[in-house]
Amino acid sequence: MSVPSVFVAKERLKNLLNADRMQCTPDACERLSSDLYHTVSKYMEIKPENFNIQITRTDIHIKYTGENH
Amino acid sequence: MGKVIVITSGKGGVGKTTTTANIGIGLSRLGKKVIVIDTDLGLRNLDVVMGLENRIVYNLVDVIEGSCRLKQALIKDKRFPELYLLPSAQTKDKTSVSPEQMKKLIEDLKNEFDYILLDCPAGIEQGFQNAIAGADRSIIVTTPEVSAIRDADRIIGLLEAKGIKQNSLLINRLRVDMVRRGDMMSVEDVTEILAIDLLGVIPDDEKVVIATNQGEPVVGEDSPSGQAYDKVCRRLLGEEIPITDFSHAEGLLTRFSNLFRKN
Repeated sequence: MSVPSVFVAKERLKNLLNADRMQCTPDACERLSSDLYHTVSKYMEIKPENFNIQITRTDIHIKYTGENH
Repeated sequence: MGKVIVITSGKGGVGKTTTTANIGIGLSRLGKKVIVIDTDLGLRNLDVVMGLENRIVYNLVDVIEGSCRLKQALIKDKRFPELYLLPSAQTKDKTSVSPEQMKKLIEDLKNEFDYILLDCPAGIEQGFQNAIAGADRSIIVTTPEVSAIRDADRIIGLLEAKGIKQNSLLINRLRVDMVRRGDMMSVEDVTEILAIDLLGVIPDDEKVVIATNQGEPVVGEDSPSGQAYDKVCRRLLGEEIPITDFSHAEGLLTRFSNLFRKN
């Protein structure tokens, strides 16, 4: 069975909104996330899977979870 | 002092005008003195949806240019207690009015009316700027589609940037059957993505098309959309009415199958 179309809609919408809110392309969003990750990783020990960026209309939230040993 | 609410969406065709008409009529039926203003210069529609198209003499631009007095341009909808329409101009374009002029007009109306509803044109150009100029709060109309929600998000950003902080969402034309089979975004999906206060949900209902054909409202009628618009009006007046959870509204068939499952 194919994926319900609502999943596709939500995924496309999230990418569009990220791009709109930052006024740049989804690709540029991806690069911003990556740059932020590398910047933060200079000062803290983080792993990509524990690092999450959320962009809203007014804020960029950087979230990291877990302790690293 | 009257409350000024702009009804906006970004995208066209999602139901701004129908919503303005039905909320205006609904509030008037609940005893409020209401004026609805069509701010879509050049594409006059609110009068048609309300069935008042044959009564227009003067319009918004006439008032702003001083070609008539404000009172002369207001059309009283005789079917309802205290409801007035200020129609738009069909022949002028959006540059004939400035945001400052709109602000002044609304200030004058605030002393007269409990609610001033502004039907905003689609887009984010001058027509939009005019419509939001004097607004205290907004109702953002969207349908559960990617393009409409995307535009709603832009509009919310623009409203916030203009200092309009009280923005609430109205989800229009929800199809429960499609949500249930995973082919339409649900109320939760939309509110989670847009992250603003939800004012109401209007289910997709052919009664809206029929009523619009006839230039009549649905609000308060015994139909899903009519009841939903009535609830929206009551929420605006501060009543706490929970949002109807359409995703659990069961058809006769599912109710039967649940019955069998229990046994």
